[in-house]
Amino acid sequence: QYNPEPPPPPHHHFTNVEAYESEEIRQFRRLFAQLAGDDMEVNATELRDILNKVVSRHQDLKTDGFSLDTCRSMVAVMDSDTNGKLGFEEFKYLWNNIKKWQCVYKQHDSDQSGTVGRAQLPSALKAAGFHLNEQLCQVIVRRYADEDGSMDFNNFISCLVRLDSMFRAFKSLDRNGDGQIKMTIEDWLQLTMYS
Amino acid sequence: MMPFGGMAARLQRDRLRAEGVGQHHNAIKYLNQDYEALKQECIESGTLFRDPQFPAGPSALGFKELGPHSSKTRGVEWKRPSELVDDPQFIVGGATRTDICQGALGDCWLLAAIGSLTLNEELLHRVVPHGQSFQEDYAGIFHFQIWQFGEWVDVVVDDQLPTKDGELLFVHSAECTEFWSALLEKAYAKLNGCYESLSGGSTTEGFEDFTGGVAEMYDLKRPPRNMGHIIRKALERGSLLGCSIDITSAFDMEAVTFKKLVKGHAYSVTAFRDVNYRGQQEQLIRVRNPWGQVEWTGAWSDGSSEWDNIDPDDREQLQLKMEDGEFWMSFRDFMREFSRLEICNLTPDALTKDELSRWHTQVFEGTWRRGSTAGGCRNHPATFWINPQFKIKLLEEDDDPGDDEVACSFLVALMQKHRRRERRVGGDMHTIGFAVYEAQGTQNVHLKKDFFLRNQSRARSETFINLREVSNQIRLPPGEYIIVPSTFEPHKEADFVLRVFTEKQSDTAELDEEISADLADEEEITEDDIEDGFKNMFQQLAGEDMEISVFELRTILNRVVARHKDLKTDGFSLDSCRNMVNLMDKDGSARLGLVEFQILWNKIRSWLESLPSASSVMFLQTIFRQYDLDKSGTMSSYEMRMALESAGFKLNNKLHQVVVARYADADMGVDFDNFVCCLVKLEAMFRFFHSMDSEGTGTAVMNLTEWLLLTMCG
Repeated sequence: QYNPEPPPPPHHHFTNVEAYESEEIRQFRRLFAQLAGDDMEVNATELRDILNKVVSRHQDLKTDGFSLDTCRSMVAVMDSDTNGKLGFEEFKYLWNNIKKWQCVYKQHDSDQSGTVGRAQLPSALKAAGFHLNEQLCQVIVRRYADEDGSMDFNNFISCLVRLDSMFRAFKSLDRNGDGQIKMTIEDWLQLTMYS
Repeated sequence: MMPFGGMAARLQRDRLRAEGVGQHHNAIKYLNQDYEALKQECIESGTLFRDPQFPAGPSALGFKELGPHSSKTRGVEWKRPSELVDDPQFIVGGATRTDICQGALGDCWLLAAIGSLTLNEELLHRVVPHGQSFQEDYAGIFHFQIWQFGEWVDVVVDDQLPTKDGELLFVHSAECTEFWSALLEKAYAKLNGCYESLSGGSTTEGFEDFTGGVAEMYDLKRPPRNMGHIIRKALERGSLLGCSIDITSAFDMEAVTFKKLVKGHAYSVTAFRDVNYRGQQEQLIRVRNPWGQVEWTGAWSDGSSEWDNIDPDDREQLQLKMEDGEFWMSFRDFMREFSRLEICNLTPDALTKDELSRWHTQVFEGTWRRGSTAGGCRNHPATFWINPQFKIKLLEEDDDPGDDEVACSFLVALMQKHRRRERRVGGDMHTIGFAVYEAQGTQNVHLKKDFFLRNQSRARSETFINLREVSNQIRLPPGEYIIVPSTFEPHKEADFVLRVFTEKQSDTAELDEEISADLADEEEITEDDIEDGFKNMFQQLAGEDMEISVFELRTILNRVVARHKDLKTDGFSLDSCRNMVNLMDKDGSARLGLVEFQILWNKIRSWLESLPSASSVMFLQTIFRQYDLDKSGTMSSYEMRMALESAGFKLNNKLHQVVVARYADADMGVDFDNFVCCLVKLEAMFRFFHSMDSEGTGTAVMNLTEWLLLTMCG
C-alpha cells in the first residue's frame, strides 16, 4: 500500500560522508548545525521554530502554525531512543519528506485557497504515496481537517508524518509479512504513547 | 531487514535479541551489510568492494587532530594492499604478537588487546573469521566480529587503507606483507565513527570487545585480602590474566629491574600452585613475558635452589628450565614486584573446555533519561530512586574451603554505551557507578524514595569514574539485593549494559512495575443522569448544535484552568484538543455531545483532585532544591510516576521514559494541559488494547487497517 523512502541510517552511526556530500547537503548540514546547537540534535521546540519560520515565508500555504504539541508528536514518531530529539539523518529524512509533501500540497490546492479541500484529500494522499480506504480517510479528516473538511498546511504535514511512521512501524513489526502484527500491552503502549 | 526509525525500531530489536540475534554464532550485521552477499556481488561484477558506509576519505580519519585539512593528514592516500606490496597476505604463519606495530595513532590500548588475543587462537578466530585471503575469491572486502555492549556485530570493511609515502599510517605488521591487523583496526574505527575516536583508552576495553568478557582491575599495592584466591579462581575459569609494573616516568618504559622484570610491559599470568616447601605451604605463580625471553631471576626462577627442597614429583611437574619467557615466582614476591593485575573473565560461550568452572552470567540493558530514569547517585536523594533497579538473589555460598565466612561472590560490571562515538560532537564518558542494597522481603516492584532514605547501601562500586565500564567483585551473605546503577550527576543521558556474574546459580531481574490500569467500567451515563446546572453550562458553551467542537473545547478548558491560578499551563493547544476529542468521540462526529463531554469532564475533575497531593510534594522539593517559584504549578516529571499511579496507571520504566519524553518540557516539568492529554490518551490506549485483546491473552493481533485506524486517530 505504501513504499516509503529508504529509512534514515541508525541514530548512532556517524557515516562521516561530508567529503562526498553534494553542496546542497553540505549547506543543509551547516544549517542544521546552526539550528541544533552544540548537541547536534533538534528538540521539539527547535523543530517548531524552524518549521514556523519556513512556512511564514510561503504566503501561499495557509497554516495557523505548528504547535509545540504537534512537533513533539513528530519528534516522537521518529525517535527510537526516547531522548526526545532528532539527529541529523532523522531531521534530513523529515525535511526531505516535508519538501516533497509541500509540492503535493500545492498541487492539490486547486482553488488556491491555501488549503487542501476534502474532495482533493484522497488524491493528495495518493500522490504522497498513501493508498487508503474510505474508512481511514474519514478518520484522518476527523482528526486533522477543519470543520469544513479542508486541511491546512500544518495539519497536512503532521498527518503525513504520522502516516509515514505508522506504516513503517507496521512493516517493521510484521516481519514474516503475513499482514498481521502481534503485540503485548507494553509494546502497544510504547508505540502509541510515544507518538 | 531495514532499520526503521521510531519506537518500532526498538521493539523490533528487542524481539530479535530475544530470538538470539547478537550472540556470537548469530552476530548482527552491522548497518545491515552482509559480508557474503556483498562479496558475491563484487565477484560477479568483477569489481573491488568500496564501502559506502565508511568511505575511504578524510572524514574516516578524524574530526580534530586528524580532521580534514589537518597537518597530520596532509598527503594521506588510501591504497589497497596490492598497491603497497607485491604479494599481500591476510595472515602469515598464524597471528602473532609481532603482527601489531603501532602507527601514528594513540590506540596502543587496542593494539595491546589485539596482541594478547593472538596468544589464544580460539578467541582470536572468533574475532577474525577463518577463510579470508587476498588470493582466493578476493574482492577487496573483509569482515570481523566485535563485541559491542552485550552483542556481537559483524563488521564489513573494504581494504583501502590510509597510507603516507607508501607506508601504512596506522597499525601495521612487522611482516610488511601481512594485513589482518590493519584491517581489524579499520573495522574497529568504522564501529566508532573514525580512526581518531580510537585515540586513548584502556586495554581492558579492547579485551572486552574482542572476547565479550568482563574485565576487572586490581591495584596490587592495595589488594583485596583474598587476592590469591581470586587469581586461582580466575585461572580455573579460563580467564585472561595480565599483570604489569607501573612506570613513574616515560624514562622507565621497558626498564629492566635488578631481577630482570620489565617495567611498563604487559605480562600474562598462566598458573597458580601450592607446593610443600620445607614443611610449609608455599604459593607459587607462573608468569609469562610475551617477548619469549627475559625472565625473572629471583627465588623460584628456572633452576633456582628452592626447587631442591620440594617433593621431586612436584619438581618434575612444575620446574621450567627453558628460556621461553615463562617463569615461576613466589606469590609474595609477585605481590611485591608487580603493581597491577587485570583479569578478563570470559563468558561461558567463549569457553569450550568442559573442565573449566564457569561464571553464571546475566546481562541487562537499561537507559538513563532526563526526567524519568536519570536520577544521579545517592547524593541526590530526591531523584536517586528513579534510576533503574535490578534485583539479585544469591542462593548459595561459595565453595571455598579456606574461608569460614558465609559469603557469595559476584561481579557487577556496569558499562555505558556508545560514548566513544559521541566524541566528535563533543560528548565523552559520563561518570558512572552503582550501589547495592539489601532487599530482604521487598516486593518485586521499583523501590521508591522512602526505601533509599531508610536504608544504607551494603556495597557499592569502588568509585564513580568516567570510564566506559566500572566493575567490582563483591562478597555478601546469601540473600536478596538491589543493584542501582547511576551516573554521578542526575539528568545525564546514556544507555548502559549491566552484567552480573555470579559464582553460583542466582536469580536476577529488573525491578519493574507490572503494567496495569485501574479502569473504571466505562461510565454509563445518559442525558437523564446529568445535572441541570451542567446541562445549562453545556448549552451555553456548545451553542445551538448542542455539540462541542474542538475549538469550543479549547475555550472551555482554557477558561477552567485560568481559574486555577496554581496550575501552570501554557494553555491547551488546538492539537491536544483535537486529540482528546478524537479519543473520546464515540459516534464519529468529531465533536463531543453532552454525554461525552460529561465523561471527559468527570475525568478531568478527578485528576484535578488527585493532583494536589502530587504537586504539593513537588512544591516542597522545589523549595528544597531552590528552584525558582514561578515553576511551582508544574509537576516535576519525577512525580509523574506517582501522579499516574494515583490516577490508577502502573507503568514500567520504559513506559515512564516514553511518557516523560513525550509530555514533559525542557525543564522536565509537566504542565497541567500535558498531564490531562497524557491521561486521556493513556486511558484510551489501555481501552483500545483491551478491546483488541478481548480474550485477555496478553497479546493483541491486528492487521494494517486496524492498526492505522487506532493509531491515526490519537
